[in-house]
Amino acid sequence: MPSVAMRPYLAIARISWRSALAYRIPFVLSLCMMVFNLLAMLSLWRVLLASGHPLAGFTWPEMRAYLLVSFVTGCLVSSFTDFTMAFRIQSGLVALDLTQPVHYQRARFAQCLGMTVLESATAAVVCGAALAAFGAIPVPALPQLALFLVSLVAVVPLKFLIVYSSGLLCFWTHNYLGVSFARAAVSAVLSGALVPLVFFPGWLRILAEVLPFQGIASTPALIYLGQASGWDAVRLIGIQLLWIAVLWAGASAAWNAALRRLTIHGG
Amino acid sequence: MYRRSLGAHVRASLEYEADFWILVFGVGLSQCVGLVFIGAVFAKVPHINGWGLWEVVLMYSMMTIGQGCSELFAEGSWDLPMLVNRGELDRMLVRPYPVILQVCSFRLGMNAFGTLAVGTVLLVTALARLHVHWTPARAAIALLVFASALVVKVSLTVIANASAFWLRGTISTFAAGADQLGDLTRYPLTIYGVGLRAFLSTAVPFAFVGFFPAAWVLGHGQSAWVGLLTPLAAAYCVTVAVLAFRFGLRRYDSAGN
Repeated sequence: MPSVAMRPYLAIARISWRSALAYRIPFVLSLCMMVFNLLAMLSLWRVLLASGHPLAGFTWPEMRAYLLVSFVTGCLVSSFTDFTMAFRIQSGLVALDLTQPVHYQRARFAQCLGMTVLESATAAVVCGAALAAFGAIPVPALPQLALFLVSLVAVVPLKFLIVYSSGLLCFWTHNYLGVSFARAAVSAVLSGALVPLVFFPGWLRILAEVLPFQGIASTPALIYLGQASGWDAVRLIGIQLLWIAVLWAGASAAWNAALRRLTIHGG
Repeated sequence: MYRRSLGAHVRASLEYEADFWILVFGVGLSQCVGLVFIGAVFAKVPHINGWGLWEVVLMYSMMTIGQGCSELFAEGSWDLPMLVNRGELDRMLVRPYPVILQVCSFRLGMNAFGTLAVGTVLLVTALARLHVHWTPARAAIALLVFASALVVKVSLTVIANASAFWLRGTISTFAAGADQLGDLTRYPLTIYGVGLRAFLSTAVPFAFVGFFPAAWVLGHGQSAWVGLLTPLAAAYCVTVAVLAFRFGLRRYDSAGN
């Protein structure tokens, strides 16, 4: 039996995945976008690696695995939209959220977890289709697979916190579209979702090392491929967890600061 | 009239200056993502299927400018589902001006300026780096081909959004999906299988936005001459867009009161 304190959050998670099922259109839309991108990337790398020469240490089957893992991490937390949050903050509807007897940040996280159920299911289906069309990928040994799963699970809170924190910026700016575009761009490049980080020049790689983004795509993909194993893998997971803790605390502080300057008009 | 309608949107947005710049910055950054990818790949390989760095950048820049033009000239078409769904199209029907243009200028994509800026810089840089043998005739045809390519892109956006007359939802799912499909042509078409290639160059001619025009200007590959068909593709797309609106409007039956 879940504790009494957990109950409202479970309810929020349940509602969130039910509403994603009811309003399938935006969900399918964002998925469509990622599937087309996956198709383009797989086609492109197939041509580039056709000669059998590895590029930056990646052979074609390994690149296939990298692209699929980064596709899965791309699906996770993709339907938790900062836009809904932004809209409620800018329109003042956030006042209603404040009246609810739940912790705002935890409630949003519960919402995001609810949708993860659906996102994982769709990601699995697409991966199956991609494997059928482009060929099988190497599977790591059991201990490595376990490490991979841990890092994959850590992607969810980490990615949530990145999106959530950028959503909080709405308390300070009126143009959220620009902020959201910028965040998506930076995170696409520095997470390694666009292309493995080893393809970048040194300075960009160092930048990616010290920022939290690598934890949402590069870390699980490298662990899956065994390019990071043993203590190296554990260290990368440790960095993921560290960022989760830092961002969680930071976002809470930002939320408190935002509330102090929040003015909502109308009655 | 169309110009005045769009101009009003520009002035309104400039009222909020800081927000305007945040948007331009954000959009510029997101347009650079594809470029970072191209740069990272070409740091390791000399060419993709025979296409060099600046050749790919040229294609990419055409797609980017095309997208900017869509945002500038046809952003309003994204509102068509809402206009049809709520019966607000009635107002436009009684005005003595083509409905298709009224819909297109219903809204202005302020991101257009960021997109166009990045696209133009890329186009100019790529052309400067590539050694194209320019003659007056070649330049004139290139201008025609590039202009047609932009017409193709804008028309495809309008066509995709015209699906709203039949789909009747409030969001342009179909159109957004089509737009994403177009992103496949940011890379040389030759990397795809025959079926997908044929589809992207005939039924939904996204390949005429970047790939074929660039191939013609560069005289690259056996099918470079296909680029000369770009005006034809543009005519085809405009016709389909106009017809889609004509048939769509015939189907349109207000929301009722």
